[in-house]
Amino acid sequence: MAVNATASSRTPVAGAARWAHENLFSSVANSVLTVGSIALMAFLVYQVGRFVLVSADWQVVETNRRLFFIGRFPDAELWRVWVIVYMVSGLAGVTLGLWSRLPWLAWPVLGLALVPVFLFIGGGEVALLTAGSVALFTLAYLAARTWAVRGRSLSLARNIALVSWLLSFAVTMYLLSAVDSRLWGGLLLTMILAVVGIVASFPFGVLLALGRASTFPVIRIFCTVYIEVMRGVPLVIVLFMAFFFLPLMLEADRSMLGLPVTGIDLDVVQRAMIALTMFSAAYVAEIVRGGLQIVPRGQVEAAEALGLGTARILGLIVLPQALRAVIPALVGQFISLFKDTSLVLIMGLTELLAAARIVTAQQDFIGKQAESLLFVALIYWLIAFSMSRASQRLEQTLGVGER
Amino acid sequence: MTLTARPTRPQLGAIAQLWRNVRVQRAIFQLAFAVFIIWLVYILITNLTDELAKIDLEAFPFVERSGDFPFVKVHLDFLGQRAGFGIKETSFGFDYSANDRYADAYVVGVLNMLRVALIGIVLATVLGLVAGIARLSPNWLVSKIATVYVETFRNVPLLVQLIFWYTAVVLQAPPIGEAIHALGAIMSVKGVALPAANATDGFGLWSVFLAVALVAAIGVWLNRARRQQRTGRASYPWWSAAGTFVVIAAGGFILAGTPLAIDRPQVEGTSYAGGVQISPEFAAVLIALVVYTGTFIAEIVRGSILAIPKGQTEAAAAVGLNPIQRLRFVILPQALRIIMPPLTNQYLNLTKNSSLAVFVAYPDLFQVSRVTVNQTGQAVPIVILLLLTYLTMSLLTSLIMNVINSRLKVPSS
Repeated sequence: MAVNATASSRTPVAGAARWAHENLFSSVANSVLTVGSIALMAFLVYQVGRFVLVSADWQVVETNRRLFFIGRFPDAELWRVWVIVYMVSGLAGVTLGLWSRLPWLAWPVLGLALVPVFLFIGGGEVALLTAGSVALFTLAYLAARTWAVRGRSLSLARNIALVSWLLSFAVTMYLLSAVDSRLWGGLLLTMILAVVGIVASFPFGVLLALGRASTFPVIRIFCTVYIEVMRGVPLVIVLFMAFFFLPLMLEADRSMLGLPVTGIDLDVVQRAMIALTMFSAAYVAEIVRGGLQIVPRGQVEAAEALGLGTARILGLIVLPQALRAVIPALVGQFISLFKDTSLVLIMGLTELLAAARIVTAQQDFIGKQAESLLFVALIYWLIAFSMSRASQRLEQTLGVGER
Repeated sequence: MTLTARPTRPQLGAIAQLWRNVRVQRAIFQLAFAVFIIWLVYILITNLTDELAKIDLEAFPFVERSGDFPFVKVHLDFLGQRAGFGIKETSFGFDYSANDRYADAYVVGVLNMLRVALIGIVLATVLGLVAGIARLSPNWLVSKIATVYVETFRNVPLLVQLIFWYTAVVLQAPPIGEAIHALGAIMSVKGVALPAANATDGFGLWSVFLAVALVAAIGVWLNRARRQQRTGRASYPWWSAAGTFVVIAAGGFILAGTPLAIDRPQVEGTSYAGGVQISPEFAAVLIALVVYTGTFIAEIVRGSILAIPKGQTEAAAAVGLNPIQRLRFVILPQALRIIMPPLTNQYLNLTKNSSLAVFVAYPDLFQVSRVTVNQTGQAVPIVILLLLTYLTMSLLTSLIMNVINSRLKVPSS
């Protein structure tokens, strides 16, 4: 982008030297910047590298693997978690196979990425089971790919896959409900909170957005007030309120006219889910509202002229366009929700970050906050980064911004 | 030809007419919705009141029935009670001790939050601007470093970063016995103490000089800027104004008898005495907020600069502006318009995220409120107060930014 006017006869012509000249040393100021950056990078890399490789004690992470990943989940019920893992791997493979084609490069990269994972796991049962789930993923992908290329009725297969995802969600909740939710912890709890939050806040958010754009003043005012209040308050406070007040509000046994009205016992995880959903729904509503404004009004008028009812207009014409237009923003919001699950710390839940703190509170590992927090940060980073990369690919596939 | 009478429709009964009237339908629907919501709220509130009554607490102790209009009296007496808990640090020189009231504690919380938010906003904007522009730099190394910064700190939750900065960095500073002394400042695990300037006699006189200097500088700037516009000759309005200000202020400083005393901090026992003290909690919260929000601001800046048509950059280059001048005079002014709305969003986010300070025991608004709730048990009024405070701040910020936004808008013809 820089207009490089003067290319003297001393400009190198060939390959690397030329690239370096253009990008790093094109002017005095640039050269100074480059030298300064190299010095800064060297310093940082040395400090971080020295810490990670030499002075850090990674034993704390090794020994407490279980706490980080599943909290205090009882051993006897561990099979439930494995069932869920296998189910998700299989479905993920099928989804990838039916919808997209992985470039051949993906497989060696996957293999390479698995090496540190297996090194981390060590040996034993866990490694075998993990290898099994990876194998299932691969098989599912291959099978789905074959069907997509050769089989009939691809759309039927895709619909079945979508329904399976919904079913798997229900199965997961059913399987996990047998274990006391106070024992859920670590990455397992984070993922559950995030998935439930994302899945539940999406329809609520869309409803709120539609309500805010509604022609009924009462509904419009209610939705606007709800959205503005939820967006004006920090999430910690909503979580705090849910923790404190929800049980008081809902657990009383009250009946009106002989019918039970409330009397719901909510455990802490459920309160967290409700709070996260209510909070995120407001943000989703704002995003969807922007999308609704993009749909040209003429489309709605034409649909009305054709005699379509409001539900059909919304479902067939307005929402598909509106939602497709705001997919990047929506995925951004879901990534934020995933990161915000770390705040349930305030309700005493031991999700991933809390696990890191609990680990370093143990007698043997008192001074090791840096290692434990870095490990947790790495896990969060990997997941959030993959999500944002996936969203970019999704944008490309859907042709957002090009139509 | 006779006109055949048009068949008459059977007249609808009165109720059926009402029933089929669209406006009536809409009104009934909204009425039903409102009734449902009110009923729901009623159930929840009465449940709350009953449950709290079981443990001997009033849900709404600040509201009382009274005989005359408007039949309720609001009194927040508990706020006038003695607080009984100390707060480690206060902002803007506000004095607070355990003998002050809860209301004072609340004010301290608000001021602490404002302090971290305002400084954080300024620093985050600077960092975000630099990082955003750096990401677009033609220097490959600089742009890659900025990209790594943004991608790394954007994808890790703020709370994780905050706790990391606090426990793994700030608290690892040397203990106060081995504090590092540099340039009059002291750094240790108890925080950083910087030399401060205290006003002594003659400060009043000097402030008069400062005011005069400011007025003179503005006058000089206006004069020079107009001359520059009129004649086209470079008249350096900013440099002249700055020079005028410095000269008059310095002169006044000497004439008023140097009314500033430098207060050097000392280590006394296990804490600092004197100077400006920055607690480790404040430092951790500030660093985490600035680094985290800086990434989002960097993305906003980068997006808005990329949104400026490329032709502007090329035309500016063709006219002979160097890269810095291009940024200053052509790109950034136009980018500012696009940056404003998402930037205000980030400022709001930073202010709301400052509530995470509760996790490192920095006495911001939420932390103080929690302690108050623990001590008084008056959860409902305090939570309502908390909500109102945050909502007011959000609305105020949105209002201010809307005003700025409308000033920056392209005038529509």
